[in-house]
Order: sequence, then structure tokens, then C-alpha cells
Amino acid sequence: MENLKKYKSVFIESFGINESQITSLKYQDIPEWDSVGHMGLISSLEEAFNIEMEIDDIIDFSSFEKGIEIITKYKITFND
Amino acid sequence: MIKNMDDKGLCFDIAGIKECQKNRYPLLYIDKVQNVIPGKFARGIKCFSYNEWFFPPHFEDEPSVPGFIQVEALVQTFLMTFLTISEFKGEKAMGLSWDNVKFKRTIIPGECLIIESHLLSFKRGIAKGYSVSFVDGEPACSAEFMVVIPSVLSKFNPK
Repeated sequence: MENLKKYKSVFIESFGINESQITSLKYQDIPEWDSVGHMGLISSLEEAFNIEMEIDDIIDFSSFEKGIEIITKYKITFND
Repeated sequence: MIKNMDDKGLCFDIAGIKECQKNRYPLLYIDKVQNVIPGKFARGIKCFSYNEWFFPPHFEDEPSVPGFIQVEALVQTFLMTFLTISEFKGEKAMGLSWDNVKFKRTIIPGECLIIESHLLSFKRGIAKGYSVSFVDGEPACSAEFMVVIPSVLSKFNPK
């Protein structure tokens, strides 16, 4: 649960939104998650989880839910 | 023209600057860039003559360089820290943020602005860094920048 909390907090801090808004959030749902916001989000996630994401994963990272699936590929677990 | 000055880095004249960035007359506000270490640092030089278009109206009785032009010179030097990397040379760049802009002195006709730009990070088409500047060794304006190369950034957009 620690990693899920960390994952959520990156979204909250990157986009300045409430926790209630994020679980169904998709790319471009809000003005803050545009192409530049996307790079900021990815950089913050890489820093928070100490990972470096592949280009294909950055492109596939199209929603909050999809992001969990992608980050799991980097040996980060969300159900501990 | 681009000259390699060995341990002093690369030197760009006006033609060399135009090879790297898209800004053109009347909005190109650097004359020469030297000591360039692509991916790290650039030193820009801009000399202001009274023939500049903005001196007669700004101001008639006391001409000085408008602040937005000083900042433009700073950001154009900053561009040379990463548009001198061969793979990005000549790309269009757009400003995302100009922060912490400070003006320490007035710049008048006949003075030269020396600008030092530092690139702190350059990842996936987004460059972050700052420029400081001097006239006759005295601090002039300074600012922090975030600039994007749209053609690079677009490669990372979710589909």
C-alpha cells in the first residue's frame, strides 16, 4: 500500500488535484495533464520510484490505471 | 560559422547562431556565442547600438533596453546550451516558463551585455536552466527558464 500511496501522491502533486479525482483519470482529462504535464508526471514518478522508463512505456502511460500496470513492470509492487 | 576553440569550447558567429536556432531579425538578440559546451554552458554577447529600433521610443529622453528584450537575449543564449547538440540543431523551441526574472541595472546605448547560460537538465525535449548577465562586470538581468522542443516532446505523448 505504501507504493500506491506514493503513486497517488505524485499525481496529486503534479497536477494539483484531489485524491477523489485521480483513480479514473486519463491523459488530457484535465488541462494539467497535457504533453508537458505528462513529462513532469513521468519525471516525478521516475524520481519517486528510482526507475527509468522506456519510451514505449511513456507513450502507453495513458491513464492512472494503466500507469500502475506499467510501473509494475519495473518490479514495483502495489499490493504489499 | 562555428569555430572550435579547443579547451574554451565552441564559438558561433551570427551565421552559426542561425544554424542552431530559428530566431531571426528583428528578433534575434545575440550577436555572438562563445565558450559553448553543448549540453552544459554558453556565453552570449549582445552589443546595443542606438540604431536598435526600440531606443527612440524607449525612451525618447533617456534610451534604455526594454526588459523583455533583455530576457529574450538571455533565453536565446540559453537555447545555445542545447540546440548546439548536433541531433537538435535548428529545431524550433518554445518557452514554457520564465521564472525569477531580476533586473539589476539599466542598459543604455553603447553597452554590451555578456550572458552566461547554464543547462541544468535536458530530458525528452524539455530543457531547464538559467542565465545571468553582466555589463562591464556589473550584474545585469537574470532569469530561470524551462524551454521545450515540441518535435521531441511529441514523440512521448500517450496515444
